[in-house]
Amino acid sequence: MRVLVLEDETKVGCFIKRALEEESYAVDLCEDGAKGLEMALATNYDLLVVDVMLPGMSGLDVLKNLRRERIQTPVLILSAQSQIDQRVKGLDAGADDYLTKPFAIDELLARVRALLRRGATESPGVLQVDDLMFNPATREVTRGGQRIDLTLKEYALLEYLMRHTGRVLTRPMISEHVWNQDFDTFTNVIDVYVNYLRNKIDRGRTKKLIHTIRGSGYMLKAD
Amino acid sequence: MPLRVRLTFWYGTVLALVLIVFSMVLYAITARNLRDTVDESLEDTATTAVRLLETNGFLPLIDEEILLSQFPELTRIDKFFQIFSPSGTITIRSPNIKQHKVPLSRTALDAAFAGQSIYESAQYPKEPPLRLISMPIMYRDNLLYIVQVGTSMESVGETLHRFLVLVLVAIPIALTVSLAGGWFLAGRALRPVDRITLAAQRIAAGDLSQRLSMPGAYDEIGRLAATFNNMIGRLDASFRQIRQFTSDASHELRTPLTVMKGETDLVLRKSRPLEDYKAVLESNLEEIDRMTRIVDELLFLSRADMGEVKVESMPVVLQSLVEDVHRQAKLLGQERNVEVVLGTITPVIVQGDDLRLRELLLNLVENAMKYSNPGGKVEISLLRDGQEARLSITDHGIGIAAADHKKIFQRFFRTDVARAHTKKGTGLGLAICAWIADLHKGRVEVKSDLGQGSTFTVVLPLVTLPA
Repeated sequence: MRVLVLEDETKVGCFIKRALEEESYAVDLCEDGAKGLEMALATNYDLLVVDVMLPGMSGLDVLKNLRRERIQTPVLILSAQSQIDQRVKGLDAGADDYLTKPFAIDELLARVRALLRRGATESPGVLQVDDLMFNPATREVTRGGQRIDLTLKEYALLEYLMRHTGRVLTRPMISEHVWNQDFDTFTNVIDVYVNYLRNKIDRGRTKKLIHTIRGSGYMLKAD
Repeated sequence: MPLRVRLTFWYGTVLALVLIVFSMVLYAITARNLRDTVDESLEDTATTAVRLLETNGFLPLIDEEILLSQFPELTRIDKFFQIFSPSGTITIRSPNIKQHKVPLSRTALDAAFAGQSIYESAQYPKEPPLRLISMPIMYRDNLLYIVQVGTSMESVGETLHRFLVLVLVAIPIALTVSLAGGWFLAGRALRPVDRITLAAQRIAAGDLSQRLSMPGAYDEIGRLAATFNNMIGRLDASFRQIRQFTSDASHELRTPLTVMKGETDLVLRKSRPLEDYKAVLESNLEEIDRMTRIVDELLFLSRADMGEVKVESMPVVLQSLVEDVHRQAKLLGQERNVEVVLGTITPVIVQGDDLRLRELLLNLVENAMKYSNPGGKVEISLLRDGQEARLSITDHGIGIAAADHKKIFQRFFRTDVARAHTKKGTGLGLAICAWIADLHKGRVEVKSDLGQGSTFTVVLPLVTLPA
């Protein structure tokens, strides 16, 4: 899941990025509103976390511009203003949720999870493909009741695959949603990580869940 | 009790008192006048009778028939007469007094012996009161007869009674009509007050954008409404200012709080290497310093607003103050790789508070260094221009867009460029500078272009030393 954080207070931006990364999200950070809007228009993010007071362009204007361009990426507004009219203004501008500073990291992460869930066509809290279970809240992955331990990147990759089961996911799509802007496109990192996942999920089992679609990418499905 | 009721009540009470007193006086005067008229006519008749008796000679015993035929006016129907001998016995009396014996009173007799006429009133049961005049007839200082003429006061009594009835009916009617009029007028006069009250209630309910509609005339109510509107206007402005200030202050304080909470929260989520905890604690310390600075400056400004900041007024030798600050700033500049130099320095003395002026200058110099690029130069110069001292601080740093020149002196305002340039800074420094300059009857001028650097000039009035 790829997230764009627009926050001009460097320290705040940094700890949000770090908290999200520890949850295996791919995070880009931007301190300027206008630049952030460009990034949001250019890349297909899964979620935007936007501060209201930004240099260049206010967070609300970024949001309005996005919605005018018919980009329906879920947006979580961050603001130091807790007054109701401010929240209303934010939500009316097209935000999906509103969080007042200062906030607890747990709440931020829970709201991010909720927004991502909503984005993926009303999927339930726990994702399941065949006997593979994936719980984003507890970060627990099991297959046939057996616990599988994953690294952050493997987890992120599996989450993306699980949220798009039965669909062909190309390498550019995977890199866009699982890695951040520092990702170097000309490596075979994706294939390497898919192999890691295969080893942990499909190895030694008769039913394989991760399929290679030759010439285009990968697909996760039950049969 | 509502004002309208009270006004009407007082108005009615005063009016009733006036009417009653007026009627009583009028009644007394009328009664007196009527009696005087009766008395005059009694006297006329008595005088005529006496004169006639005198001209026609005094008969020891006057025959009633002869007397009446000689003096027909004595038989006039509304008056009766009697003639008494000096012993007080009746010698003659007119026929219209048949029913009663009206004896001569002792006082009348005494007065007659003294040669004086006297008026008396007499009352008999179930009869209208009588008015009498007793007039002596003297001959060579001897009392010969006493002529008494009397008349009934019935018509006078009736007149007075009618007057009384009229007054008793008229006063309540007049009072009722006046009260109704008063009630109406008071209501009319107070209606704008009601309107103002309603509007004030709406405004008190929180809608400070409301204003009273001004009645056309510039009367008491119009003035009240104007004063009221004026007051609401100022309240509105100052509430707006306070709201803006509180929201800015809370925003500025929330940012360090967010950093501290977020970083601490994050580092505590799982066990980490020692360096991570150290980094968070160090960062928190920075934020605590930032909050301390904000709170200190806020406290200073709010005390300044309340007029609680003590300010000296002594001659201050500006050039030595500039040199002190320059020495201090040079050291700070070395840390930040910014050179601080002195330009033209003219000896100038101003009146004011040495500490505050030092703070003002240091603030501006620190700003100049903060917003300079590494390797930059800050110049301080002091000039004399007519009756003003001009203390300028010039840098070649990030500069300020023309549109923001006024705003930078507002509390908490920081330009986007300034925010991007450094996270340190509370947005209160220039507000404090402006306040200090204002205190010295001076001002702070800005000349700046974005990316070209800035010149801040403190303009202070010179002291005119007595020659």
